[in-house]
Amino acid sequence: MDKQTEFVLRTLEERDIRFVRLWFTDVLGFLKSVAVAPAELEAAFSEGIGFDGSAIQGFARVSESDMLARPDPSTFQVLPWRGESNGVARMFCEILMPDGSPSYADPRFVLQRALSKAADLGFTFYTHPEIEFYLLDQAPGEGRTPKPVDSGSYFDHTPNGVGHDFRREAITMLEAMGISVEFSHHEAGPGQNEIDLRYADALTTADNIMTFRLVIKEVALEQGVYATFMPKPFAQHPGSGMHTHLSLFEGDRNAFYEAGAEYQLSKTGRSFIAGLLRHAPEITAVTNQWVNSYKRLSGGGEAPSYVCWGHNNRSALVRVPMYKPQKDQSTRVEYRGLDSAANPYLAYALLLEAGLKGIQEGYELPAGADDDVWALSDAERRVMGIEPLPTSLDEAIKVMEKSELVAQTLGEHVFDVFLRNKRAEFDAYRSQVTQWELDTDLPVL
Amino acid sequence: MTTRDGRGSTERGRLVRLGFVDADQASDCIATLSARGFFGAEDRFDDAWLEALGQVANPDQALLSLMAIVLALPDDQTQELGAQVDTTMVQRLVAVLGASRALGDFLSRHPAQIDALGAASLQLTMDQRRSTLLEAVGADPMVVGPVTTLPVRAANHALRIEYKRQLLQIAAADVADHAPMPWVGEQLADLASAALETALAIARSEVDDSHLCRLTIMGMGKTGGRELNYISDVDVIFVAEPEDGATEEQALRIGTALATAVIRNCGEANAEGSLWEVDAALRPEGKSGALVRTLASHTAYYQRWASTWEFQALLKSRWVAGDRPLAVEYLNNMAPMVWAAASRPDFVSNARAMRRRVEETIPAAQVERQLKLGPGGLRDVEFSVQLLQLVHGRDDFRLRSSTTLSALEALSTYGFVGRDDAAELDRAYQFLRTLEHRIQLVDLRRTHIVPEATDELRAIGRSMGFVTDPAKELVTAWRGHQREVRRLHEKLFYRPLLDAVARLEPGSARLTLEAAQARLVALGFADPAGALRQIEALTSGISRRATVQKALLPVMLSWFADSPDPDAGLLAFRQVSDALGSTPWYLRLLRDEGAAAERMARVLGSSVYASDLLLRAPDATVMFGDDDELAPAEPDVLLSEATAIVARQQDSNAAIVAIRGLRRRELLRTSIGDVLGQLSVNQVCTAVSTVADVVVEASLQAAIREIETRTGAALPTRIAVIGMGRFGGRELGYGSDADVMFVHDPLPGVDEEVAGRVALDVANELTRLLAAPAPDPPLLIDANLRPEGKQGPLVRSLASYASYYARWSLVWESQALLRAAPVAGDRELGEQFITLINPMRYPEEGLSIEDEREIRRIKARVETERLPRGTDPKLHLKLGPGGLADVEWTVQLLQLKHGFAVEGLRTTSTLEALEAAADEGLITREDANVLSLAWRRATHLRNVVMLTKGKAADALPTLATDQAKLAQLLTRGESTGGEVIEGYLRVTRRARAVVERVFYG
Repeated sequence: MDKQTEFVLRTLEERDIRFVRLWFTDVLGFLKSVAVAPAELEAAFSEGIGFDGSAIQGFARVSESDMLARPDPSTFQVLPWRGESNGVARMFCEILMPDGSPSYADPRFVLQRALSKAADLGFTFYTHPEIEFYLLDQAPGEGRTPKPVDSGSYFDHTPNGVGHDFRREAITMLEAMGISVEFSHHEAGPGQNEIDLRYADALTTADNIMTFRLVIKEVALEQGVYATFMPKPFAQHPGSGMHTHLSLFEGDRNAFYEAGAEYQLSKTGRSFIAGLLRHAPEITAVTNQWVNSYKRLSGGGEAPSYVCWGHNNRSALVRVPMYKPQKDQSTRVEYRGLDSAANPYLAYALLLEAGLKGIQEGYELPAGADDDVWALSDAERRVMGIEPLPTSLDEAIKVMEKSELVAQTLGEHVFDVFLRNKRAEFDAYRSQVTQWELDTDLPVL
Repeated sequence: MTTRDGRGSTERGRLVRLGFVDADQASDCIATLSARGFFGAEDRFDDAWLEALGQVANPDQALLSLMAIVLALPDDQTQELGAQVDTTMVQRLVAVLGASRALGDFLSRHPAQIDALGAASLQLTMDQRRSTLLEAVGADPMVVGPVTTLPVRAANHALRIEYKRQLLQIAAADVADHAPMPWVGEQLADLASAALETALAIARSEVDDSHLCRLTIMGMGKTGGRELNYISDVDVIFVAEPEDGATEEQALRIGTALATAVIRNCGEANAEGSLWEVDAALRPEGKSGALVRTLASHTAYYQRWASTWEFQALLKSRWVAGDRPLAVEYLNNMAPMVWAAASRPDFVSNARAMRRRVEETIPAAQVERQLKLGPGGLRDVEFSVQLLQLVHGRDDFRLRSSTTLSALEALSTYGFVGRDDAAELDRAYQFLRTLEHRIQLVDLRRTHIVPEATDELRAIGRSMGFVTDPAKELVTAWRGHQREVRRLHEKLFYRPLLDAVARLEPGSARLTLEAAQARLVALGFADPAGALRQIEALTSGISRRATVQKALLPVMLSWFADSPDPDAGLLAFRQVSDALGSTPWYLRLLRDEGAAAERMARVLGSSVYASDLLLRAPDATVMFGDDDELAPAEPDVLLSEATAIVARQQDSNAAIVAIRGLRRRELLRTSIGDVLGQLSVNQVCTAVSTVADVVVEASLQAAIREIETRTGAALPTRIAVIGMGRFGGRELGYGSDADVMFVHDPLPGVDEEVAGRVALDVANELTRLLAAPAPDPPLLIDANLRPEGKQGPLVRSLASYASYYARWSLVWESQALLRAAPVAGDRELGEQFITLINPMRYPEEGLSIEDEREIRRIKARVETERLPRGTDPKLHLKLGPGGLADVEWTVQLLQLKHGFAVEGLRTTSTLEALEAAADEGLITREDANVLSLAWRRATHLRNVVMLTKGKAADALPTLATDQAKLAQLLTRGESTGGEVIEGYLRVTRRARAVVERVFYG
């Protein structure tokens, strides 16, 4: 942290930084920003910058709108798309109450609480997301049908494709911001891309995802295209998920690894998966928080609609990737439910707490599913004890409302605000008449 | 023994008189030593030896150790050794052996080291210590960055032997030459820094390119303060800079390797044991931070990140080993920041938190025998002195010493602490530290616990000069000093504040007004100028009251400082004091009963409500004096007192003033018990309800008498007051109105209309009397739950109620009647009324489906309509989800449905009905517990909000500062406001889920 502080101060001088953006996230996962001049930074470090929280989704009631944002210097980055001189930098913030105690409305504090609970049990939580998104030819406008920038498909290397340049440019920029990219390729849908971030502790990853979304949108803008993380922009093409690989470490040891066990998966790992599965329905409203998210989930293909796990089974909600010999440290499980438009702080906090609950209470892992779950009949699935995930935001809200786990993890304030917001979203959606209805009903009714 | 026949018995007697416990064993030892020729050919075991042995801590131990040393030698060397020992050496040797088993063991391994005790002076300068230790490992003390020439193992061995040799000398100076405690601490700290220098010289031989790094070791804690113990962790911070030509990376890498080696060289045990643990945890970021940093990195950390306690730690920072110019730079960089620390915004809350931590970190079982931690422990003294240095040292250079005792002296010299208090504290601190030294010396073990065994206490007592009954005298003296230190905060922090405003002779050193204000702010007072005015008013003059208050105020200020609102507490105290003046019992109460003053301070500093009640009639201060006074009064006693008042005061207005005074007094009693945590929620509700019962009964009597006087005739009817809502349920809070209905029943032969008019007059008179302006808080009578509400007649006859209920009765009325209970007036009539309404509220066969639906519908509507605009429903204790109304309606629905069948449900108490429902299986036990907890929590919080704010409110405060005060009263600083709110929201969310299921179905 301290090296980092020196770096912050030195860089501000050397790079002639004119503005520092203080970033934080609202309850729905939208990035918020307050700009301060470098001269104000000292005060910001010691006391925080005051702002009116009532304007931020889920932050405060009107009567206590004064809140403080205190930057975390370890998150300092110069924003590369703002040019080399007269630059702009950013830091993520903690949100504090006027008396200096952390605000229960801050999603970052939600994740920090979950991480410190894990730390009390001796665990560090690492995540590694694979983020999918679409590139469209232009920004959305009224009545305009979105059009992908190309017609390529999985792993296609399209000659002169916008996507190719785009990925190169985006990755360069991400690397410039200290975000390591593991992997990138064209995804199955036309104009759809996937970029995998290197694994890191969950808080860093969540910060990185917030940065990532912005970088992708900025690069797209520079190249005259439009990037979207909407979970399912095209009915006929696959949705954009954010499969995330999860692992727990006890000190330097991967807690999921056990030599000689089935899939080299330890008791801890098995209970963690069991926790993810048992609590999957109640956390779905957060991991898939939009009305549109459920269009992706029920779309078939690689999107998981059923609560089950499998070894290398791409239709399962939780997948245990093939173990590679000599790679004990990389034993992990992949949660495939998340989509790219989730609030990463809340989603990771819940995945962690669900898994920890499995470990603490010693949940038994049910039998794995080897078949393509989509191909099974309802009766078969019932016999095998495979439950569906909620099929709509409405259903997901109803399960979440009853969840003690979610309430405790999010804290009562965020829990309440989130549910209220989502109920309102679903109510608004329900009152719509869609194109599909007009197309199918109007001609015949 | 055979050689000493004839001398044996007298010698034995002498030995016992000298303090030997086992004289036979001692005789044997002397004989053996003699036989080995230790006392020379002439057998010089003479008075010099005996006298010396008679003065040591543990003579038996001393002799045994001496024998062990001698037996370890070949015969010829024994005599040589014996010949070496002169009188001074005899004294020193036996004193050390009697005080320290561990040093005895050392000497038995290395008898030649006895010569260390022969030195004329046992004092060495820092340079001498450094040189001898470095030379012992073959390093040249004259060069910069000395390096050992011995192999690492041999060097460590040599280091340990030379270290113990010097330790032996310091111990001898301590126990034989009676060197003062501060001197011992200085010498031990110097020895430790010489040892660190030597460990660094060894480290340089282990690490490649060590010359590329300038490493300095800063002593912290007791090492830095030059007040070290015989054995304790040595706190350090490492700073590294590159030599010319090296890079920063290289310097940090090499510096880290060197530091790691230093820690190992000191801490690792070999045949000679270890020195001590080197503890670098005070460095930036603590254990998770880098072990070694550059100067710039240190500086930046303290500029940006360090919290108050880290600056406090820096107060003691001092160069101890390694590169000296770098240390000077380091200190120059740190000093301005350290002295600005007290002006940081979080200083006060940090300081409070630190003090709590100091007091909380000891296991309860050890608290009694702990020297270091806990209230009044050594740490507390050191901590408090440092805090004062931080507060005042910024403006006053003279206070900037890193040693506890010299800082204390400076504080006293320049008037920041009273001279006598400082002197007393100095004595106590020296005593306790000496005791700690002697305990540690025995086995060179790191401990701060006073032993319990009598023989151990006896030895330590003897070493500290207690002779008659060493164990007992020691304990008495120890407890005495401990008592003094326990009143430390009072002496150090608060008493000087009084001097600041006192009119002293000019010239005498005292706290300036500015310094006093700075100190008050640091202690948590928000308005220091106001606080000083109160202090001045309370202590000025020469009246008996001022004298008593002068003596008491310092400790009271410390209690105020610990309460949620110190300023309000102090102000209220001044007002009480002004009101009571020199009333003898008040002065006695303050002077004699420490607990009374403490209670008063806590209550005044916590509760606006209780302060307000007290100030209305300060006589009630007497309540603080006695535990029994705080128990809620018995209902019978209260009632007869109230009845007597009415009988005595013929004027009903005057009577009611007295009655309301009685109520105020009882509310005060209850609120004090509540603030002090002596009453449960249920007890508070019951007490407040009982007072209301009594007040209404007495007022009714006064009203009846008034009407009878006015009409000149006896009342033509019987009247009863029926309590409704929380009043009927005996669940009143401090701010509740009294919900009632009036019923009357004309005497035989009286015209119903005439009787009705008189009854109405009585009811109106009662309401008027209780609401009339008066010095004491009103009890508002609310009769809106009567049939037809505000449109209906205020008073009905029993027959009228009967016909009304027979004809109209709506389901919500039945629900309201569930909580009806007679509270005053004609008892028989009250019972008749209850008999009348029982079939209404416990309908045969329960509720119809329509009625049940109606109740749910009304509740659903109330939820949305009744909440005041702009309120956060979640924080509304009464109408919010899972709040009071939710629980009560759920319970009442069960009562309406099952009351006819289940006897236990026929009660006006929410919690009793809930319990009965759970017993009967109408609700699961788990659900009932959830509801009960939510109800109690909301009721308690409603009371606490009233206590803290002095105004009735149905919602939790939304401002973070208000929430923090609430949390401090509720949890005594254990939780933040955010945590209290989070906890309430959790409990009520669960309750709401039960309500959704059980009530809405």
